[in-house]
Amino acid sequence: MNTHASLLFPLALLVASASGCSRPFDIKTAPGLVELQDQEPAYSYRAISPEGVAVAVKVIDLEENQGDLAFWARATSLRMHQLNGYALLGEGDLKSRNGVPGHELRFGHDESGKPYVYTLRVFLTHKGWPSNGSRLFLVESGGPREEVARYQHALDWMGGSLEVD
Amino acid sequence: MAKAEAPALAGAPAPPPPPSVVAAAPASPASPALLATNDVAASKSVPDSPHSATMLIYTANITMAVYQVEAALQGVETAARDAGGYLSARQDTSITVRVPRDHFDDAIARIEKLGDVTHRDIKAQDVTDEFVDLQARLKNAYVMRDRLTELLARAAVKEAIDIEKELGRVTEEIERMEGRMKLLRDQIAFSTITVSFTPLAPDRVRESSMLNAFPWLQSLGLGSLLDVH
Repeated sequence: MNTHASLLFPLALLVASASGCSRPFDIKTAPGLVELQDQEPAYSYRAISPEGVAVAVKVIDLEENQGDLAFWARATSLRMHQLNGYALLGEGDLKSRNGVPGHELRFGHDESGKPYVYTLRVFLTHKGWPSNGSRLFLVESGGPREEVARYQHALDWMGGSLEVD
Repeated sequence: MAKAEAPALAGAPAPPPPPSVVAAAPASPASPALLATNDVAASKSVPDSPHSATMLIYTANITMAVYQVEAALQGVETAARDAGGYLSARQDTSITVRVPRDHFDDAIARIEKLGDVTHRDIKAQDVTDEFVDLQARLKNAYVMRDRLTELLARAAVKEAIDIEKELGRVTEEIERMEGRMKLLRDQIAFSTITVSFTPLAPDRVRESSMLNAFPWLQSLGLGSLLDVH
């Protein structure tokens, strides 16, 4: 019995881990924002401030060979800029806290006649064995331009805390 | 009437400057009153005898990203005025201005700096044939009117009724052709630039079939991000 128990305990931990109890990323919520619960399936994580500044993470599971980081950076840029009419204010490369390369797109868009800003960070990781697929992380943040400016330090801090698996 | 329309230059740079053959006398730089056409300037810019000259009507439709729209609308209007043009129409998310043809390229370049251009459509419509044809028909109509007027002066009462009827028809035809020529002159002298601040039209979105393969892309943006209901 003791032998069985010693085998079952690590197995139980493995099952618990694979059942979605843990997210394939880690992000810290900055003071001034609160994490919203039960955001699945639209978001794996979402936090908001009282003034309407929001940060969210989407995780998309991709099959094998479904595009590299450049492809998804371009696809998301095309979607937001040319189809949704968002103004591309800037873009650049960056890395997650654990060193995964990513791409950042910064947009502006009027909502009800008022200027809003929206930032999208894209990261791509490859799943380990036995899967050959990859995982796309979309980190969105945005809100009214003036409020985002007030929260910029907190948003930068949250972005800098992101680790993706 | 033969009309040659240049293909849309989506995403391409502005066309070369309009040919100078038509621009014998540039439009007056003075700004006309808002929401009014400037017939005087238009007639100055287009010669009466366009033989061998190519008469082009330039139009530009520019779509810009929806950001800081109010300021951009004002900027477009100011750019048009500075170029000697005027405001033709303005709504919440679009504006149409007219600029002297010689300032078309400069105005486009200045307007495009006001925002993030997502689509550009510039056309040059050749109306030379129509203009020359109208001019010839108008000349004949004047001759006909003068002839009928002479006949009317010498006609008996019974004949006069028929001549007056024909004179009325010719006069009406002359007014219609003069109106059309006036419109063409104005359109040639002042290029039309329309700037819209809207997402791409749904039919063009459907053309982007690549993105349809990944429907989750449609959930990106402020609409979903800030909707916490």
